[in-house]
Amino acid sequence: MCLDVRHTDRLILRSEQPHDDHDVELLKAVAVKDEAGEAALGQLYDRYRVILFSVLMRILNNREEAEDVLQEVFLQVWRRGADFDANRGRPFTWLVTLARSRGIDRLRAIGSRERVVAEAGASEPAEEVSDAATDAIRSEQRGVVNSALSQLPEEQKRPLMLAYFDGLTQSEIATQLGAPLGTVKTRMRSGMIKLRELLSARGQYFE
Amino acid sequence: MTHEDYKAMLHAHALSALDAEDARALNQHLAECDECRSELADWESTAASLALGVNPAEPSPQVRDRIMNAVRNEKQASRVVPMPQQSRRAVWASFGQVGAIAAAVACLVLILWLIVMWQQNRSLHRQIDLLSSEIRYTQQEARRANEFVNILSSPGAKVAELQGSGQGAGATAQFVYDRSGRAMLMANNLPPAPAGKEYQLWFIVGKNPPIPGGTFAPDDVGRGELFDQVPDQALESAVFAVTLEQAGGATAPTSSIYLRSGL
Repeated sequence: MCLDVRHTDRLILRSEQPHDDHDVELLKAVAVKDEAGEAALGQLYDRYRVILFSVLMRILNNREEAEDVLQEVFLQVWRRGADFDANRGRPFTWLVTLARSRGIDRLRAIGSRERVVAEAGASEPAEEVSDAATDAIRSEQRGVVNSALSQLPEEQKRPLMLAYFDGLTQSEIATQLGAPLGTVKTRMRSGMIKLRELLSARGQYFE
Repeated sequence: MTHEDYKAMLHAHALSALDAEDARALNQHLAECDECRSELADWESTAASLALGVNPAEPSPQVRDRIMNAVRNEKQASRVVPMPQQSRRAVWASFGQVGAIAAAVACLVLILWLIVMWQQNRSLHRQIDLLSSEIRYTQQEARRANEFVNILSSPGAKVAELQGSGQGAGATAQFVYDRSGRAMLMANNLPPAPAGKEYQLWFIVGKNPPIPGGTFAPDDVGRGELFDQVPDQALESAVFAVTLEQAGGATAPTSSIYLRSGL
């Protein structure tokens, strides 16, 4: 893993790294596809179900569809676990990227692109989900990211959310927001740079 | 475009927000540039952190069972498990006394009854799994057809038939696209993609080098689908072909053609 040595305040990083190593071992075990691999897949599910399901709910806004895609994601992990390369990123990033991508595919397939884009899931009341001992994500980490997001200007945050959770391209975002394409590109870039800086400063950013 | 131009697009690529033409150009550059690949991984990590900002939600407990059942079914389908051999002698040895025969018979009846119930239970579970997967299959088919018809009903829509050749003999595909280039490929009977490999679509215009399209992996019955964007220069007249490449796609085809359209 490539650690960012520019920042000294990395409490979360220190507590996170052993989990990463553990998850890498679980993915390696899954790739063997034997009894132990099956158990490893179960453990990965227990650790990542909440974060991946939350992302799918945010994208699809429908429990049945989100649960169906969650099942597809873990079957994909089972079939293609060997594709994970620890040199190219963390298990967290790989799994979240896989789930997000499958979620956006489903969103397109069910033809919901014309729907009114649900903004940031703000109208959805937060479910009471307590930190399970097995969960890969702790509520402190959510707090760190939410605090970083709250410091982003709305004009920078919104294009990031529309791209990530609604699968819109820069041109589509420009249309949706009624802003020139060049402006959208600049705001997205500024937003991503600022987000990276804010997370780095809190030690959340570690690759 | 210069290396610096591509670098400036990496953050948007990590959010999959680039328009199709930009994404295609950047993917070609990424295949050759270590620095940009490494920086892209960095931005992907930042993008993934957005996932931590959503309201947490818990899937229903049945999802875990469905996944583990599906995995077990796949495992069973991929290999034959030898049945454990029962040692009859060991069982009968404990019933050697004549006086115990009545108890043994009662036990045997109970065991047989349990076995029958267990088999019935297993058979019902198998039927439920089968029906669930049939429902899922039908839902997916309906979605594919819906999207296909959506594109087909757009202005200037065209359909190309792709036929299998070489190792893809027996495979077929339909490629539908509209005037804006919005496209969908539906393939059937493709051989499974080995680990680390995916099928890739190519656009061949005249004698020019093939233009790379998106990648996809077929499911366990050889069906695959791909949503893509036809490049402008291929909208009027092009051959569409499918090859087997490294997962993520290649910049130039390296395998023989599995599927291709006529002119």
